[in-house]
Amino acid sequence: MPSGNFAIRTLKSAALFGAAALYTVYTAGPIAWIASMSLRATPDIVRAPYALPESFRFDKFVAAWTTSNYGVYFWNSAAVVCAAVAIATIVGAMAAHGLARHRFPGSRYIGLAIFSTIVFPPQITIIALFQVLVDYGLFDTLAGLTLVYVAIQLPLTIYLLEAFFARIPEALYEAARIDGYGDWEIFWRITLPVGFPAIATTIILNFIQLWNDFLYAVVLIADDDRRTLPLGIQKFMGDQMEDIGMIATGMMIAVVPVIVVYAFFSERLIQGMTAGAVK
Amino acid sequence: MANVELVGLGKRFGATMAVSGVDLTIGHGEFMVLLGPSGCGKSTTLRMIAGLEPISEGTLRIDGREMNRVPAKDRDIAMVFQSYALYPHMSVRENMAFGLRRRSFARAEIERRVTSAAGILGLDALLDRKPHALSGGQRQRVAVGRAIVREPKVFLFDEPLSNLDAALRVSMRAELIALHRRLGCTIVYVTHDQVEAMTMGTRICVMRGGRVEQIGKPIEVYRRPANAFVARFLGNPPMNLLPVHPARREGGRTSTLVFGNTIAKGTVPPHWPADGKNVLLGVRPEDIEHAPQGVPDGRIAIQVKIETVESLGAETIIGASIAGVPTPLVARLGRDCVLAPGDETSFAFAPSAIHWFDGSSDGRLVA
Repeated sequence: MPSGNFAIRTLKSAALFGAAALYTVYTAGPIAWIASMSLRATPDIVRAPYALPESFRFDKFVAAWTTSNYGVYFWNSAAVVCAAVAIATIVGAMAAHGLARHRFPGSRYIGLAIFSTIVFPPQITIIALFQVLVDYGLFDTLAGLTLVYVAIQLPLTIYLLEAFFARIPEALYEAARIDGYGDWEIFWRITLPVGFPAIATTIILNFIQLWNDFLYAVVLIADDDRRTLPLGIQKFMGDQMEDIGMIATGMMIAVVPVIVVYAFFSERLIQGMTAGAVK
Repeated sequence: MANVELVGLGKRFGATMAVSGVDLTIGHGEFMVLLGPSGCGKSTTLRMIAGLEPISEGTLRIDGREMNRVPAKDRDIAMVFQSYALYPHMSVRENMAFGLRRRSFARAEIERRVTSAAGILGLDALLDRKPHALSGGQRQRVAVGRAIVREPKVFLFDEPLSNLDAALRVSMRAELIALHRRLGCTIVYVTHDQVEAMTMGTRICVMRGGRVEQIGKPIEVYRRPANAFVARFLGNPPMNLLPVHPARREGGRTSTLVFGNTIAKGTVPPHWPADGKNVLLGVRPEDIEHAPQGVPDGRIAIQVKIETVESLGAETIIGASIAGVPTPLVARLGRDCVLAPGDETSFAFAPSAIHWFDGSSDGRLVA
């Protein structure tokens, strides 16, 4: 019954398409709503929260960037997050390379000790971190926040990279050794390029995590000129009123770098996530 | 070219000796094949030569210089791995030049060597491709090319053909033999494939349980295996090893009786172990003939019942049983063989085709 089969196939495709469309609306809907609000004035939004923009208020982005100090917050975020991600990636990759390739006395316990820190929620460590930063003169500095970001992201970075590096065939390293390369050069010339899908994955995850961080920044940064973007958005939330339109504009500014980083590394991210799934 | 000496070489993993007491001298330009079943220690031995595995005991010398503590990169060896171990992020050209760049060769010299090796191996058109865009055979060639450009003292091959399909393996085998003739280099080649060993090696070293069982030219090892293990391992189908009790004492004289046939002196060992008990009679399948019309004089006749018939086109492999003998007999007969399962007939072989082994120690009993 070819026509019957065709009907069943069409029905299945329609059900699949419907489910995918529903999921897309569910996940992308709030983002579209924020994007819509970022181009509308707050009184308009209050009057009709779900309406589409009658006129596109791009001037709100200029205002947020210039008059609301968003430029400073943006560059603070960019500097702290890029530095932290770079350090966490390099140091994490080195540690992961060491743990994945070398078995030395205590290596298993060192690995366990590092990975066990992943399970602690940030609320447990933040008071101690605050005290340490104060003691070392790093409180309310971008360097201090960078170091904290490196520390909190390093275990997950090592965990992900170690799992990937351990799957790189040993013969590749042995071939490089016979070709005359030492461990340091092998790390730069073999581990990093071959492990790039996993590194791209950790870069994206770390970048998103740190770019959106609010908790550590709000505790460890006090001065307005050293605020990061999430703290800048909070400025539009007062005790008596919220400038919902400017919050939406601020969020759209904040989300752009994440999209750029994701778009840049996404292909590698998918490779990293599926690595080892097929030979 | 160089010679390689292994003196009492051993490797310990924890409490286990993976390799022990390996004494082997590989001459200049020799193609030495380390042959044995999985886990026999052949790859570990190769890795000790390469410097990838620390040597637990014994001495390794290359061109007379002790290498035990010399790092892999300073041994002037090149290795081709079973998995090829090509750097996936580099092109064929970069893969081949990688080792040379480390050794600070001039750019022109690197290019000359890479071009020359690519020409020898037919890789000229593939130099800018990445390994993932190559077939298995091409990858294998690149791995060999990476070794060739180094112009090392010794080439080490660790089962390089085992990932190729049967047809490609045959052609690559021929290419490697031609390459050895052309370069005249010293090669140590590990394989579990006896055909590779027989066709490629100038000598083979058969290993079992981390020890050397026999070293010699392939045909010598095949024709005169040092023990029952080697006899069984070399040859396809393997040598028949039948338990027999050949010694008979009659009237003060000892004679040899096998399946009712008396065997003349001269083709039997002068001494039997333990009164002639627990002896293995070895005969290669190709030395057995079908003798339905009677057995020629001096030959040994066996009454058999045919169990299996495998017609391979060019030949027929017969599996047969002998009354009272638990081990089946395998014979390689001609393509015109008309035997069928269930037939009862006679097989025959010459006494000179028999190999005698001590069933207890596995050792060869010299006639």
